Amino acid sequence: MTTTITQDRHAEVVDAIVGLAPDGVAYVPSASIAPIINGVLDAQANGDLPLVYPVSREEEAIGVVGAYPLAGKFGVIIMQDNGFGNALTALTTFAVSYHLPLLIVANTRGGLGEYNSMIHSISEPVPALLTSTNIPVFRIDRRNTAEDWGATVAEAGNHARMTFRPVVVLMEFFDPKDAKAKA
Amino acid sequence: MKRIEALRAIVETTADVPVIATCAATSRELAAVEDRDNHLYLLDAMGLAISVGTGIAQTIKDTAVSRAVVIEGDGSLLMNPGSAITASYLAPENLVIVLLDNGVYASTASIPTQAVSIDLGRFAESVDLKVLRAENTEELSLALKQTLTENGPWFIHTRTEPGNEPGTKLLLIDPVVHGSRFQTWLTAHLAEAS
Repeated sequence: MTTTITQDRHAEVVDAIVGLAPDGVAYVPSASIAPIINGVLDAQANGDLPLVYPVSREEEAIGVVGAYPLAGKFGVIIMQDNGFGNALTALTTFAVSYHLPLLIVANTRGGLGEYNSMIHSISEPVPALLTSTNIPVFRIDRRNTAEDWGATVAEAGNHARMTFRPVVVLMEFFDPKDAKAKA
Repeated sequence: MKRIEALRAIVETTADVPVIATCAATSRELAAVEDRDNHLYLLDAMGLAISVGTGIAQTIKDTAVSRAVVIEGDGSLLMNPGSAITASYLAPENLVIVLLDNGVYASTASIPTQAVSIDLGRFAESVDLKVLRAENTEELSLALKQTLTENGPWFIHTRTEPGNEPGTKLLLIDPVVHGSRFQTWLTAHLAEAS
């Protein structure tokens, strides 16, 4: 069975997260990252990830996963970018201030292909919001191969560990070559 | 019971476990009672104490570090009640949440919280945390001893008087240095245990 480029990107991101060997993965859902969340849940079921779990809001994820480095551990958060409005105080007053590395992979909701006219108001400013709080942001989109997506997520996780801070990868799923790619 | 009296009771029973304290006056008063390496003060991270405690509880599971103890306030819990729901969902047996409920945002001019008329112990029961109630320092000490030996996740609902302890010093510490101190204590104890 052939796969689409979007499915390949999903699979690369899942493999990259598994490859980082996180001690836990917290998620807040979005339709476009549901395949990634289901992928890490499958990895947990297969014994390739120790712990994958939902949280009710993004700042909760920062609190739980942000605590891991205090015990010498490391975690990943999967969410969508409109949740950075919820997460920003926790990110800055806890993860950034205490120098706690964690990786956030988030889909974008303010770019090309976005159907919700209201969500641009939070999602478009997200990169600038994060950059202004000294949180590194790496962006991947339709111009990147599936392998690029996986490599970026993997290296962003290493970057978080090496620089002792939260690091964000923003994934823009719009791709005119794939009609099923959704924001 | 004053909050600082409750904090003294907590300090007496938590020398060997990580203690995560909610922000502002609670952290300041805890440090004033005793500033230990096993204390993590969340100086300005509003509503995050239970979440951080849940993360610590996950990381020390199946080690000789037996418990993660969270000192939470009613205002902070009401800011992030989902944290209690997630704690119940994840059900870390080694998590102890002590809610010091004074019905006010004591750090911000003692403005009333919803806890004036909402029983947060019943809220905790409704999300299937194991709830104990303590009305004085003796009951709090007994509850702590039980939660430190029997599996949770626990939620001790403790009513305290409104207000802050006069003369408590500000906690003017670098969070990086402070976090490193806690991390050094915790990882050393985890290494000893392994």
